[in-house]
Amino acid sequence: MSGARWMDFAGQAIFHTLVAALVVEALVRLWKVRDPQQRTGFRLLALVWPLLVVPAYFLLFPGREEESFRDGRALFAGRHWEDLAFLGIGLYGWWILGMSAFGLGLFLLDLVPWMRARGARSPPWLARSPHARPAQEALARAAAALRMEAPPLAWVDEGPPVLFCTGTRRPTVVISRSAVALLDSEELAGALAHELAHLERRDPTLSWALMGARALMWFNPGVQVLVRAIARDGERVADERAGNASGDRLALASGLLKLFRATEGRGPASAPGSHPLAAALAEPIARARSHDIELRCRALLAPPPHRVPLARMRLAATAVGLGLLLFFVV
Amino acid sequence: MGSTVSEGARALLTMTLVLGGTVAALATLDSVPTWLHGQPRGVRRVDTVEDAERRLQTKVLLPSYFPDTLRWPPSGVRFTRDEGGAVALDFLGKDGTPALLLVESVTDRAIPEGLQGRLAIIQQQSAPLGDGAVLARVVAEDGTLWSQLDWSRGGRRFLLRGRGSLEDLLRMARSTHGETR
Repeated sequence: MSGARWMDFAGQAIFHTLVAALVVEALVRLWKVRDPQQRTGFRLLALVWPLLVVPAYFLLFPGREEESFRDGRALFAGRHWEDLAFLGIGLYGWWILGMSAFGLGLFLLDLVPWMRARGARSPPWLARSPHARPAQEALARAAAALRMEAPPLAWVDEGPPVLFCTGTRRPTVVISRSAVALLDSEELAGALAHELAHLERRDPTLSWALMGARALMWFNPGVQVLVRAIARDGERVADERAGNASGDRLALASGLLKLFRATEGRGPASAPGSHPLAAALAEPIARARSHDIELRCRALLAPPPHRVPLARMRLAATAVGLGLLLFFVV
Repeated sequence: MGSTVSEGARALLTMTLVLGGTVAALATLDSVPTWLHGQPRGVRRVDTVEDAERRLQTKVLLPSYFPDTLRWPPSGVRFTRDEGGAVALDFLGKDGTPALLLVESVTDRAIPEGLQGRLAIIQQQSAPLGDGAVLARVVAEDGTLWSQLDWSRGGRRFLLRGRGSLEDLLRMARSTHGETR
């Protein structure tokens, strides 16, 4: 593919994601889609657009890229903005450059802390510990409530409170001694049911797939934002599943809040010698995370969300409508 | 059953409104560059005659006679796909003021208005360029007087408007079709 064709591909991938995401978000709000599972379906539709539909347009309909289509049939052609130039570069080129830089920034904002965390020395995971018994029992109870087999438990004997699930082939729940000490038995059962709900949905595998999508579309800010929204929905889905299975939504909300306060909720630590912008960047991120936890707790305190009827029909109609509309956007 | 149908109809109506709004927003966004250029919708600017030929996928017929009172290359090249496609070339005189407009429609249909500019015809007569050819005196928006030739040949329609002598204009028109006089 030539440079101009790559530019067209990047431009369309970015623009189609923006349009698809805006249309989907507008419909989610107007149709009052509050169930996180249903909302994820709509957001996944916007996410697959740049990954599958835009490449399919390029492969199956090469005529869309011709000037006759652009000037005659297209509803919107990004290249028409090339007629306006700044410093010798057309505005379409500037727009792609700006959006790509924004997309890369959003990608690095999550990639760098994730790589740092992977590189940091962490306490060892133990397969067995005499202190792990309460957690083992709570895990067995949560698994029974969710009607699934209890996965192996990895025990962390030291360090801050830790509770998460991991593993694509060998799913495992990791819990630390301090997390068990922090939570009462109902909160622990609720929090473990939340992790089991993630494993039931194969969220660890999905999160790798989403990370792959982000890496592939590093230049696309729409994809970066959508993946974050889908990840947040994943947490809400696990909350709902765990809350319904354990029957104690309040305990789950309380456990969530305690774990958050004991870890991220303490606020960003000031690291000597860190970049001057680090604090400025960390502040809004910390605020967004705390807002996210607040929303999750509020949702758990409310009754389970109502599922909109005809969700599949709505999703199919949205896909067809967007397919027709975005075919004429080049 | 009835409530499901009405729920589905409401959902489709909402979706149609959202998509309709998106279509309107995209069409508006697409028109902005032409508005900023001061061109009517559908008229696009290109840098060279070759660019216009490539975009319209046709050869533009140019006069072989070109009076030395005009500057080459054209100061502006515009094209449109309306009415089957047409291209307009604006030429400046040696003094740097607009001196000639050549519009060529690649079909025998009317010359698209977006390429002609606004003017008033004050006098009109048949021109010695074949059936249907018209010679007119026109007044441009700035009040200047121009001579204008409008004719069809070989399945194409031409318009030549100049401020120079009428003889030069006729000679240019004929030279477009290989005629020397």
